[in-house]
Amino acid sequence: MKQSKDPFEAAFEEQEDSPPESPANASVDAEQNPNPSIAAHNSQSHPQDQLQLPHNDNAKKGASQFTPGSGSGNASTSGPFTATAGGSGAGTGMKSKEEEEEEEEENMDVELGKFPSSGDPDKMAKMQAILSQFTEEQMSRYESFRRAGFQKSNMKRLLASITGTQKISVPMTIVVSGIAKMFVGEVVETARIVMQERKESGPIRPCHLREAYRRLKLEGKVFKRPMARLFR
Amino acid sequence: MSSSGGGSSSKPRSASSQPSETSSKRKRGVFQKELQHMMYGFGDDPNPLPESVALMEDIVVEYVTELVHKAQDIGSQRGKLSVEDFLYLIRKDLPKLNRCTELLSMNEELKQARKVFESDEEKLRKVFEVDEPVE
Repeated sequence: MKQSKDPFEAAFEEQEDSPPESPANASVDAEQNPNPSIAAHNSQSHPQDQLQLPHNDNAKKGASQFTPGSGSGNASTSGPFTATAGGSGAGTGMKSKEEEEEEEEENMDVELGKFPSSGDPDKMAKMQAILSQFTEEQMSRYESFRRAGFQKSNMKRLLASITGTQKISVPMTIVVSGIAKMFVGEVVETARIVMQERKESGPIRPCHLREAYRRLKLEGKVFKRPMARLFR
Repeated sequence: MSSSGGGSSSKPRSASSQPSETSSKRKRGVFQKELQHMMYGFGDDPNPLPESVALMEDIVVEYVTELVHKAQDIGSQRGKLSVEDFLYLIRKDLPKLNRCTELLSMNEELKQARKVFESDEEKLRKVFEVDEPVE
């Protein structure tokens, strides 16, 4: 929904009492103000994709519809920004992932004026500072990172087929999609590390993925089937 | 390069007319488009290799399957799966846990926002309905 300053963003500026952004980012000043209003949507991971692509069917997709809602809802609920403790906690968790990615990835795309960290003015300012310095390629990569996600319908179908046609609730697809996306991120990042160690370059090949998967298994990040299962 | 699997998966390629409910055969390429964008976002090439995408899809499906089976084991006492089972399973993995709580709280906010939006819509509709007979 927002690539650059939108009428929506302008409307948000008026409605939201956003803390003034640091003057350091003069170029993104215009986008900074609407950002706090979007800050509720939380930082880098998927939700941001939602906001930009209304047609994206992700679990996070709520965000794209959130924006109009939050404007009207803001008057009554004083601050979707400070969502819950989970929001700020998620901000911290996200920060670690962000740092992790910055170290391991050559390129980080940043969306100017996209979602900054959830409701924390410091984090938002930091995000803005980082975002404003991204190159074109980094921007587009970050955009993909934000927007990409599993289709809710596909995930629902998959879950139903695994559980044997139990009723799958919407929050469950949302959670599983989020977990799966982060898992993909872990595997891809580990594969990149493997490639660096082997001094290879170019697209990731299946052998890298398999090696990465094996390493994750050793670390215990992938669930292993216990050897003996007493009760099924 | 044919994309008929990187050799690691033994699932046959089912025709697109295969009903999606069958659990014995899985449609290949269910997540391909999204996976391509995702892999690029996480550091892969802008055009990932098709066999890498296929392998990644297999990995993800296997991961989700294991996750769901474990959750079923935990939640079997209750008789049905719930979100808390998943949250319990990833409790050790902080980034994932934080992310999930964030997503869920966002979902709640969106639901409430939509409710407010719809109630506003209702009010507007009523206003219009009142106006019509006057005109």
